[in-house]
Amino acid sequence: MWEKVQDITRGHSLWMLYYCTGCGAIELPPTMTSRFDMERFGIGPMATPRQADILLVTGYLSTKTLRRVIYTYEQMQSPKWLVGFGSCTLNGGIYHDSYATINQLDQYLPVDLYLAGCMPRPEAIIKGFKQLMTMIRTGEADGWKRYRDNREWYRKNQTKALGDLLYTTR
Amino acid sequence: MLQNEFIAKIEQEFGLDSAHITIVAEKKIAVTVDSGQALAFLSYLKNIDFIQMSLITAVDWIAENHFELVYTLVSWEKNLTVSVSTFIPRSEPRMVSVRHIWPTAKYYEWDINEFFGIVFSGHPEMGKPLFLEGWSEKPPLRKDFDPQAYSYERFPSREYDYEVENKGRVVE
Repeated sequence: MWEKVQDITRGHSLWMLYYCTGCGAIELPPTMTSRFDMERFGIGPMATPRQADILLVTGYLSTKTLRRVIYTYEQMQSPKWLVGFGSCTLNGGIYHDSYATINQLDQYLPVDLYLAGCMPRPEAIIKGFKQLMTMIRTGEADGWKRYRDNREWYRKNQTKALGDLLYTTR
Repeated sequence: MLQNEFIAKIEQEFGLDSAHITIVAEKKIAVTVDSGQALAFLSYLKNIDFIQMSLITAVDWIAENHFELVYTLVSWEKNLTVSVSTFIPRSEPRMVSVRHIWPTAKYYEWDINEFFGIVFSGHPEMGKPLFLEGWSEKPPLRKDFDPQAYSYERFPSREYDYEVENKGRVVE
């Protein structure tokens, strides 16, 4: 019961951390600024992972950046939501045969929502965020719970892609 | 005019055969030298105002069984770009580092070492990772490395239960 009330309130104020690994970052400035104005839906940019609610992974992830995304995601406070942005996070996109980039983000981190497209336009981003807010209110967006419960499975996949480097520094 | 003068100069001073020199475009010249002669020619160019090392890159000619190393040099005094090519065998990919001539060569040579496996003697960073983390396969930009097979084996692809090509339709 209390969880449901929390979910309703959570959906209204979302702070987004955008991890601009790929070309997708170029669609975010028009989404944030005056023409499309993301802030009228209550979504604002946030500078640090520890205070953010949404992690937006824009574009392809090389194995090197995947490590940093995993660190970033694990630093965020629960509840937290992960949005995969663009075809590259969904199925590899045009980099599906690259030796350096991963093909599916949801093998390594729990993705709540994918925005397909190469690139998604600001309209699609806003529609996706509205969908995410609905999912948060209804409690469908439970990626952080899945990550907590299936830690072993995610860790196995992360180790397969990254080798033993996951928690080493260089 | 300018480049013809320059070609005559290096033919005379360095004793290069004119068959090794081609004019690529206006103000751009390509020179091919033997791998043994390359370092002498590059330091000669440094002494005649080619102070800018723009790029070092490598090409894997797998059919001919050699690597081509291309040094692109720019002279601001002469307003000329020269690319110096040299060939080294694939069986023993080894070249002398030019870091003492152009310090900017550090990262280019390190990069080539990581992606092609070419060893630059005298470069202290050889064998250390630069971009790739935990790489254990053969260098990825060699032509006999199959990136698709590596990717499909290491990173699982998404399974679709229908033919994606045949489902093309417009959504709102």
